Amino acid sequence: MLPIAVLVYPLPVSLTRAALTPLPPPAGAAAALALLWLLICAPGDAGCRLLTVADLFDRVIRHSGRIHSLATALYEKHFPPRDNELGKSARKCHTSGMLTPNGKEYAQKIPREELTHLILKLLQAWKEPLSHFNQHIEHYQELPDDSLSKAKQISNMVHELKTGVEKVTEKMQSMGIISNSLNGMASSEATGLSISNEANMMSDSDFIHCFRRDSNKVQSYLKILKCRIMPENSC
Amino acid sequence: KYLDFCTSLGQSYPGKPKIIRCRSLEKETFSCWWKPGSDGRLPTNYTLFYSKDSEENFYECPDYRTSGPNSCYFDKNHTNPWTTYNITVTATNEIGSNSSDPQYVDVISIVQPDAPVNLSLETKTSAGIMYLWAKWSPPPLADVSSNSHVYHYELQLKPEKKEEWETISVGVQTQCKVTMLQAGVKYVVQVRCMLDRGEWSEWSSERRIQIPNGESSPEKPTIIKCRSPEKETFTCWWKPGSDGGHPTNYTLLYSKEGEQQVYECPDYRTAGPNSCYFDKKHTSFWTIYNITVRATNKMGSNVSDPHYVDVTYIVQPDPPVNVILELKKPINTKPYLVLSWSPPPLADVRSGWLTLEYELRLKPEEGEEWETVFVGQQTQYKMFSLNPGKKYIVQIHCKPDHHGSWSEWSSEKYIQIPTDFRVKDMVVWIIVGVLSSLICLIMSWTMVLKGYRMIAFILPPVPGPKIKGIDTHLLETGKSEELLSALGCHGFPPTSDCEELLIEYLEVEDSEDQQLMPSHDNGHPSKNAKMITKGKDSDSGRGSCDSPSVLSEKCRESHALPSTLQTQDVRDVQENKEGKRSWETECIASEQKILLFNNESTKETTWPATQLPDNHPPMFAYHSIVDAHKITLTTTNVNIASFLVGNEEHQSQYPITETVHDDMEKQREMENLHSKTDQTTVQVIKTRPNDKSPFLNPKLMDYVEVHKVRQDKETAVLLKHKENSGKREKYTVPGPSKEYTKVSTVVDHNILVLMPDSRIHHTSVIQEPAVEMSQNLQQGQAEKNMSYCLTVPSECKRETSGSEYMDPSSFMPFK
Repeated sequence: MLPIAVLVYPLPVSLTRAALTPLPPPAGAAAALALLWLLICAPGDAGCRLLTVADLFDRVIRHSGRIHSLATALYEKHFPPRDNELGKSARKCHTSGMLTPNGKEYAQKIPREELTHLILKLLQAWKEPLSHFNQHIEHYQELPDDSLSKAKQISNMVHELKTGVEKVTEKMQSMGIISNSLNGMASSEATGLSISNEANMMSDSDFIHCFRRDSNKVQSYLKILKCRIMPENSC
Repeated sequence: KYLDFCTSLGQSYPGKPKIIRCRSLEKETFSCWWKPGSDGRLPTNYTLFYSKDSEENFYECPDYRTSGPNSCYFDKNHTNPWTTYNITVTATNEIGSNSSDPQYVDVISIVQPDAPVNLSLETKTSAGIMYLWAKWSPPPLADVSSNSHVYHYELQLKPEKKEEWETISVGVQTQCKVTMLQAGVKYVVQVRCMLDRGEWSEWSSERRIQIPNGESSPEKPTIIKCRSPEKETFTCWWKPGSDGGHPTNYTLLYSKEGEQQVYECPDYRTAGPNSCYFDKKHTSFWTIYNITVRATNKMGSNVSDPHYVDVTYIVQPDPPVNVILELKKPINTKPYLVLSWSPPPLADVRSGWLTLEYELRLKPEEGEEWETVFVGQQTQYKMFSLNPGKKYIVQIHCKPDHHGSWSEWSSEKYIQIPTDFRVKDMVVWIIVGVLSSLICLIMSWTMVLKGYRMIAFILPPVPGPKIKGIDTHLLETGKSEELLSALGCHGFPPTSDCEELLIEYLEVEDSEDQQLMPSHDNGHPSKNAKMITKGKDSDSGRGSCDSPSVLSEKCRESHALPSTLQTQDVRDVQENKEGKRSWETECIASEQKILLFNNESTKETTWPATQLPDNHPPMFAYHSIVDAHKITLTTTNVNIASFLVGNEEHQSQYPITETVHDDMEKQREMENLHSKTDQTTVQVIKTRPNDKSPFLNPKLMDYVEVHKVRQDKETAVLLKHKENSGKREKYTVPGPSKEYTKVSTVVDHNILVLMPDSRIHHTSVIQEPAVEMSQNLQQGQAEKNMSYCLTVPSECKRETSGSEYMDPSSFMPFK
């Protein structure tokens, strides 16, 4: 458990740093590059260490945590939650229609494959709205540069995260940890499109609020998933 | 006129100020305020003076600021409760001043506290009777130490719509229970206080309260907070409002985001009174709870403001547990502290659902500031660089990653950092100190014992300049070549040969000093006095010839004394004509020279030096002056004049010749000295191959010319006087390495026969600084004289040279 942590450490650090930097454009690129390396680097390559599923999980968990932090920062800075708004019944996230576990026990009960699929689905549901949101705030909102960069970074990182989770999924499938039963879920990709339209109708604050919530969901599910698959690793 | 002018401008002296009041809040300080009069349209200064009834002096106000404008504050040091103060305020401007009427102040009588503060009212119901409960605080004082003052309070109240106050004397308590109130009426309440027998304070600010009429609904409760300790369940707490005098029920209702349905709290008990516990089943994440609390009694109900909660973000774990402080003591390094702890028991960190991050803080027990360390997700931490000998307090708290809030700090844990390793250090240092001081002691001890050797070793004696007989005359003439050649040795550093010679010379020098001097003084009385004195090692005589004047005196004595013997001696001398002649002339020459010294101090100084270059040959090794003289004479006689029968004879004649030359001296003086100022010197060095001593000329004979080189037994050079050569000539005939330092014979008047020095190659310097000598010689005295003349001054010369030589032994104090 400890050796793994040591092995895994260097790259996530670079990821985190890249994400932390307010917005040197290279930061996102660096993060992307790092994740790309993560993806390309397969076991057996001379240049990279043998990445276990646990390593990959740690990376995607850190990545998702970083996304959530960015979203929180953005949310609290520009869309301060007011008690009244928080309770506004009108708020409806475009992903709220998805049935997701809303507690630990549910998340532990749900099949691994389904949980994995949920994570991917959530990420997928945010891909398009995020890029749309970026364009939107770039054109219509007068946000400071660092906020714009954060939004952009979030968008990139969600993309990377999705790639990373897909990679882990592949690996788990190849190792027989989870079954290849994700095929049936492909249909939901189509529904993703329709709900993304819904997302575009949201107010900016609702958008950020919803995204923040879903990023936290993703992180929590990833953690649960990891500890379900590898209970011995940092769990 | 001035006044008129001022008046015309509306300017005048200031109006009379008036002291409004003086007041003490607590008997220990007091303040006085005044009202300024007109300022006369000019800037006006106000000055407060006071005197005490016990004193005549006037003082100015100690503090104009503390109590605001136009006031004076008397602090504790300036306030005496047993004194009456006479206070006056003076206003001053450019034109004049004006003083107020005096105010007499007795501190006790002017005590008036501020009004009480923090008055709060509450209605309570006890046994079905409604009453009012009022609370307040004593007036705040600037000086905290004065809190011991005991105030008496008075409370007044009235229904809001009435004019008359009802006053209640409270006593010294700061709370009051008022009954007999009209239900449903709003009352106004005030309170004031008094210190001892002073004045009542102002009334405090008003407070109003609605007395319930017994049938009102409860006030609305307030939801304080909601918290999830482990991200699985959560609890909300509320604070009830006034119950309206009736038993009140509280109901918590909640709805979730996106749902219309309202639920009631599933569990009022688990989390204690006025709380609602949401178990796992009722806890949903990523949804917003809309929570309200309703208070209900028989009169009605009241609902709190809604509270919105996203459980994800209200996670606040319990503090970590099992905090263990352990002091590790590795063998080779300093001890360090290992902290370990466990996550709070409720938190299920193994599921991955909740990830905790930790932060610890510690400080020395007596320290003020905490040192905080963020640890991350690990549950262990090593602390290095703690101050030994101190007791540390450590606490840890935790929080979920990315959201939620920090837990409370864990209970304090103490750890005593031991000091033993410092003691070890101390021991090491003590040992080092003792050792080093021991070493120092030994060092100093040896230094004391062998100090001089050490000194000699560290600071070797400075060798004296080993330039024997440097020719200052040469220096003066500036001929470096000559100077160099005048130096006995052929190069620097001096060869061992030279050093040897030097040492030998030294030994002789001492003996000669002593012996020669007496020989002159004492030897003369006896006709045949020999210069046979035992050679001894003595340094006492050295200085005698250091100064030319002494030398000359000596020489003079030698002239004078033997005069009586003259005739006899002359006869003796005359027996041996040739020998006599030579002695005579020689002495004359020397005498002449000495006289010259006497007459011309400048020349005197030079002559000893001139001898030096040639005075180091090995003959000085003789310890006995007799031997030396013998040798000298031998060399002289044998070489100069072959007629001389024996050394003994010659020696015996020596004093005589001196006396003879006394006579000659007069002639000399007459003939030469008065007309000449310069001295003539011929320096001839006679060395014999057998190391026997030549004698050196005190005076340098001048100018020689190679007349002929004879090749008899030994190679010899015949030197001839040159009348005006004025320069030194060096003869190296026949071989380049041979030098003619030995006078073989003196032929005619002007010719010296020199023999080559086969043993030592050193330059024989023949110098003729002056031309005079030639004349002298011409006057009928042969140059033989001069050659002989070398003997007498040579001693002196040697003495002087000896003085120039630095005896190394003289540097050794205790040898």
